[in-house]
Amino acid sequence: MSLKVTRMAAQPSEIPVPNIEELFRPTHDERARQGMVSFIRKLAIIDMRRSLKEDYENRIEPQLDREGRKPADWQAIEKAVEHENTYRFYSAVRYNAQEMCYLSVQPAVERALPAMVGLARELAVRNPAGGSLRLNPTLELPKYITALDVHLTPGWVHSEHTADDVAQAAVVSFGGKVFTGQHPYRKRPGVVGESIACWIRKKYPNFAPRRILDLGTTSGKNLLPYCTAFPQAEAHGIDVAAPVLRYGHALAEHEGIAVHFSQQNAEQTDFPDGHFDLIVSSFFFHEVSLKATRKILAECKRLLAPGGLMVHMELPDEASVSPYENFFWNWDTHNNNEPWYTAFRAEDPVALCTAAGFDSSRSFKTHIPDIASFGEERYERFMRGELPSPAHGAGGWFVFGAERD
Amino acid sequence: MNDTPADQVRLPRETKGKRPRFFDDPAIDQMMTFMLELTTEVAVLRERMDTVERLLDERGSVTRAAIEAYQPSATVEAERNAWREAYLKRIYRMHPPV
Repeated sequence: MSLKVTRMAAQPSEIPVPNIEELFRPTHDERARQGMVSFIRKLAIIDMRRSLKEDYENRIEPQLDREGRKPADWQAIEKAVEHENTYRFYSAVRYNAQEMCYLSVQPAVERALPAMVGLARELAVRNPAGGSLRLNPTLELPKYITALDVHLTPGWVHSEHTADDVAQAAVVSFGGKVFTGQHPYRKRPGVVGESIACWIRKKYPNFAPRRILDLGTTSGKNLLPYCTAFPQAEAHGIDVAAPVLRYGHALAEHEGIAVHFSQQNAEQTDFPDGHFDLIVSSFFFHEVSLKATRKILAECKRLLAPGGLMVHMELPDEASVSPYENFFWNWDTHNNNEPWYTAFRAEDPVALCTAAGFDSSRSFKTHIPDIASFGEERYERFMRGELPSPAHGAGGWFVFGAERD
Repeated sequence: MNDTPADQVRLPRETKGKRPRFFDDPAIDQMMTFMLELTTEVAVLRERMDTVERLLDERGSVTRAAIEAYQPSATVEAERNAWREAYLKRIYRMHPPV
């Protein structure tokens, strides 16, 4: 396959748009390595996680209970298990598997990089699907992005190693595929956006947003399903990191979906008041500081038009789940370089929305089913209240948000 | 602006941030990394062998280029996944908690 796209005299729609992800060509052995790492990741996050929970429930907790020291909160549970082998090996395998996801794709990303950069650059000029890419090289990256390599991804989403770089976006995208490769509820990229879009269409059948905004969009994979669900809407994705925006723009143009990507901090954007009817995000708020979370929700209030809707997929808050589950989720805070994770989860998302100026009676938090694993027919029964949603991370997604008056 | 040419980029392999320790002796944390990498490399070798065997079955001969070009069918991939799962189960044989 030729990697170069030359400008031709034909109509833009007639020119085939290469897929930047097809430039990634791991060797036989690299593919084998990635395949194995997916199973090591599954060993930790499914099997060893289950063994730890069983050990806690069947042995550790009853023993402490007999001694009159039954753990009352997630911190006490953490303290009770941290010297147990079930916890130590679970943690060590999980941590190493996370690193290996990225290590297993980096050599192939390095080889593909010149062609990837070339294609992204070309598409940013040509915009064959009618989207756009607006970067701001003077934007100051917030400290909560640069202080640590989040998710143990060396260079995270923001580092730039060459001009017009997309490498970190490719590392996160392909490393993510290894990460979720054997996970039962992460069947395809964008499944969170797909699930929320499906829920919105069923819950608000007459809702027809004119403009959609995705915050912390990275490569826009969770934004594209909203474009499919609401084809009449103009789609915008913002992020502070340029590599993921360049890559996401190339992906969307290949998909033939017009998305307007811009490099902006969601705490303060350059969009006019009331510009959007739908504001969404996924896996976003727990990566920013609590101070930034409050500012971003206030910015959402400013940007949302009357009658608009805001839906964010996030981790369930502390009050919504058991102490044991809190212990499980908060593991990432220190062990996955996500310093804001525990602090964000300690807040009530509805209270955060209310503090940002949304009406408390029109703010919500709830679980919705994962569309890929739940299925259409059961989804209808969920909407009629006949079936509960599976829990977050176990076939469901936790969402919070607000309707604007 | 970073002026390293794209074909000379070497991505960082180490993560910024403090590495947690899960064991009393940090040498065990280090050994876990060695062991998991080794676990993976054995699986890579085994998969290469599997590709060679399958090519020999199909064609009676094998070249490095043919190994590199080999695309497993969905059936082969499912067989390999079953092997990977069973392989890990054999290795990570946890002692009963005490």
